[in-house]
Amino acid sequence: MTPDHFFLLAILLFSIGLIGIVSRRNLFVVYMSIELMLSSVNLVLAIFSRLHGDMHGSVIALLLIAVIAAEAALFLAMIVHLYRLKRTLDSDAFRLLAQKDSK
Amino acid sequence: MFEQLFLILPMAIVVMGAFVLLLLSKTFSLDKLNLVAVFFLSLSFIIEILRFGTTTVCYSFPEIFGKMYIIDDFSILFDLMFTAGAILTLLINTAYFKSRNYYNGEYFALILFSVFGMMILAHSNELVTAFIALEIASLSVFALVGYHKYNKVSSEAMMKYMILGSMTGAFFILGTAFIYGAVGSTNLEDIAAYVNVPAEKDLVLVLIGGIFIMVTILFKMGAVPFHSWVVDVYQGAPFPVTMFMASTFKIALFAIALRLSLIDFASLNIVWSEILQVITVLTLIGGSFLAITQKSIKRMLAGSSVVHSGYMLIAYSSIGLGSDMAAPAIMFYLISYFLSAAGAFGILSFIATGSKKMMTYEDFKGFSERRPYLSAMMAIFMLSLSGFPSTIGFLGKFYIFTSAIESGQILLAGLGIVTAFISVYYYFKLIAMMYFYPSTDQQKKFPFDFSGLLIGVMAMMVIWGGVGTSLIPFIPGANGLIDIAKQAIDSLQNVL
Repeated sequence: MTPDHFFLLAILLFSIGLIGIVSRRNLFVVYMSIELMLSSVNLVLAIFSRLHGDMHGSVIALLLIAVIAAEAALFLAMIVHLYRLKRTLDSDAFRLLAQKDSK
Repeated sequence: MFEQLFLILPMAIVVMGAFVLLLLSKTFSLDKLNLVAVFFLSLSFIIEILRFGTTTVCYSFPEIFGKMYIIDDFSILFDLMFTAGAILTLLINTAYFKSRNYYNGEYFALILFSVFGMMILAHSNELVTAFIALEIASLSVFALVGYHKYNKVSSEAMMKYMILGSMTGAFFILGTAFIYGAVGSTNLEDIAAYVNVPAEKDLVLVLIGGIFIMVTILFKMGAVPFHSWVVDVYQGAPFPVTMFMASTFKIALFAIALRLSLIDFASLNIVWSEILQVITVLTLIGGSFLAITQKSIKRMLAGSSVVHSGYMLIAYSSIGLGSDMAAPAIMFYLISYFLSAAGAFGILSFIATGSKKMMTYEDFKGFSERRPYLSAMMAIFMLSLSGFPSTIGFLGKFYIFTSAIESGQILLAGLGIVTAFISVYYYFKLIAMMYFYPSTDQQKKFPFDFSGLLIGVMAMMVIWGGVGTSLIPFIPGANGLIDIAKQAIDSLQNVL
């Protein structure tokens, strides 16, 4: 196992997250894709920390977990709220702001 | 110990104010909470204004935090703009939030938290601190955008902004991770030292990391390939929040962008200048197109705020090409844009207090007959935003184009002037609507109030920044403001 394997894994996870945001419609899946992107960054930080032989990267990863948790709180609250408003989580259902008054 | 505490006092006051507001939110009325919030913000503002120009560059608690947290004139000037923007947002909208039923105490706490995040962002001398500060500020703004929770448009705007904003936040921390991987530290001075020494080093990782960080910053500014959220979010958010975002949050991004390009990546700027030039051209043209096609005033101002990012990006790409004027020009333009945009959005939300419908151009027909003073002030802000001479907006554009010509980007300056002419169309259309059409409603008597007075003072400042010199003591006119901007940038460059 070389660091390259881990980097490849991190790149794969980040790309899956990015593609998930672009292609999926369900808001929960979109949210999980964002979490996947952030977690893959955590993995990158941990690998670099190990390669450098210092703790900076791991500490950054710990701080990042706290930030992800804060984001999760707001995101989940928003998803519950949106479900109450529309009774669906399909992001295509939210099209009130589409550019209809600009024509 | 106490000296160190005094250094972080303005930030501490703001965050303490936010917690005090949270504790009081159930017992106090909205009016009192508003006054408490303004009290804490003004306290912080006064301390900063006393400190501006007197402190040397120093770090707070260096033995604990290292060099994470810097205090210099540059960050203090930004702090002054953030606190002033929040105070104006709160004071101008006193009538607005009383007329709506969905406001409660947490609104003020969220604004203070977001100001706290922006202040940390201006002071941060380290990428992870900057990321956390950016997240504090953006998460508060996300919640504020969706504050009208019974309104589907507001919630939808929050959804759009939050998904895209969190995604670009991931890019920022990914860029930080890459830079950490290459340099072994996230401190800006360490990165600068690593980049500036011309040894046999691989800078690819630093470059890619820097580009990822730039993506996040450009997204939050609303530069064109990343602009899809701007108009929708500005329309969906409640009026006070739109005002806060357009005038204050937009400025915060330039704090970190300027610090990065002037200290951190100074020797790599040539690589970025080309990317930035393309983005600038796209932003100017795309933003103009966005603004022209809108019928609602709020959406028009949102589109035009994209164009204003474009003007600032002209000067931003000139920094890398060796223009000394560029960085102070951005600072001056930020001050001028702050005054004009806060005023224009302030008037909009002031008018929207009485009516629940969307503001279109048609609604402003004959506005000068109904409210002569308010329409005169609106005309002043529109003139300033379009860059008409004798207002502060003209001088801002003048410095921007000077810096572009100084660095040899003559085509970019020309494009900027063309978009300034285009902007005359959508700004002057509003003035024409106000003055050249008869009023449909009959005239009513409006009582004098404090919000109107504040907007009037801001209109005076816009004029004074355009023509005034040092005629009135203690209120900086045009040349006073550019001196302040230069002083702030100097304090930034003295670090190295």
